Amino acid sequence: MATLKAIRRRIASVRSTQQITRAMKLISAARLRRAQEALLSARPYHEALKRVADSVLKTAAELAAPPENAQGKILLIVVASDRGLAGGYNVNLLRMAEQEARRRQSEGLEREFFAIGRKALDHFRRTRQPLAGERINNIPRLATVGLAREIGQQVLARWRSGEIREAGLIYNVFRSAISQRPTYEKLLPIESASADGSAAATDYYLVEPSPAELVPAVLRTYVEAGILHALLEAEASEHGARMTAMDAATNNAVEMIERLTLEMNRARQAAITKELMDIVGGAEALRA
Amino acid sequence: MAASFPFRLIAPTGIVYEGQVEQVIAVGPLGEFGVLAEHVNYITSIVPCVVTLKLGDGSANEFLVTGGLAEVKDGSMTLLADEAIPVAAVDAVAAAPEVQAAEEKLSQLSFYDPGYPEAERALQLARTRAEIARLRRVLN
Repeated sequence: MATLKAIRRRIASVRSTQQITRAMKLISAARLRRAQEALLSARPYHEALKRVADSVLKTAAELAAPPENAQGKILLIVVASDRGLAGGYNVNLLRMAEQEARRRQSEGLEREFFAIGRKALDHFRRTRQPLAGERINNIPRLATVGLAREIGQQVLARWRSGEIREAGLIYNVFRSAISQRPTYEKLLPIESASADGSAAATDYYLVEPSPAELVPAVLRTYVEAGILHALLEAEASEHGARMTAMDAATNNAVEMIERLTLEMNRARQAAITKELMDIVGGAEALRA
Repeated sequence: MAASFPFRLIAPTGIVYEGQVEQVIAVGPLGEFGVLAEHVNYITSIVPCVVTLKLGDGSANEFLVTGGLAEVKDGSMTLLADEAIPVAAVDAVAAAPEVQAAEEKLSQLSFYDPGYPEAERALQLARTRAEIARLRRVLN
């Protein structure tokens, strides 16, 4: 049985860990709120853009197709986090990324990864995956227009030169603080939301200069907005996952402290009983 | 009073302006254009420019837009800006040397260079900012 002193030391150690996890939980809660607001306020742009892109590309569908000489490569942009301690956030995401890569490989597409976040980069380096690019240490904010623009330009450059024939985003969709779902979303080529020829297809638009001339601008805006959207979702998910993980860790620490306290009391009582027994034993010996 | 129509100016990070306007003036690849109420359904891109919103009470709102797309649909207009800054908040002090730097960069590129459109945009943006600086000097 552990000595009283050792148990006391353990309790102190667990308690200080608990203080850290509780602080991390509070920080994540604050950041989550901010990320959620950002996600919400970015929605109108995303929705309006999808509609505009749709109407332009309907009249110039062939222009959004990959260049004819495009190689059989797919670029998977994986949005993970820079830091851990977020439960299964990164693990689930990276598992999904590999599944998707395998699935596409069986269709004859060669994979290539773009790693966002240190956790993604480390993983792909360790497993020796082909990397097309990386962006790590995205602090203090992950979802910035600047970062989305930078990545978008790189992706579009590879797209135009025919290095890739498809690009997709893999990120965690924020559903709630306790639920984030890894998702694959096709970025390029743009797929018409109403390809089945629904009502929107009949809308008439005057398009200037011409649909063909508008395509590059639409493509650029669409890709950047798509990436920004993924970054926003991922940022909110990350803080949500960390908050939940840290909440669980704090609760575990509370439980552990309770158990250790019980053990400590038992050890203390045992020591007292033993001392009493010694005294009684000594007295008995003297009387005899 | 002219008829007004709903207008939204949206940047990737959120709605910048939302409300009824009488006229919107912006610059597309073909030049300056204005949108009044009951405009036909319309889509165009926007080059870096100052977008002017004329409001019902005769006042105007101005935003520096760094590029984007505009859509008129069923009488309401949506302007998707890469970035939109109220003109009053634009930092136009360093504009003149920026124009020169952008002109120089553009002159070194071939028209077929992949970086050409980007450089052209940068020049237009610098020129717009220089114009804002000039107007500000004139008005003061």
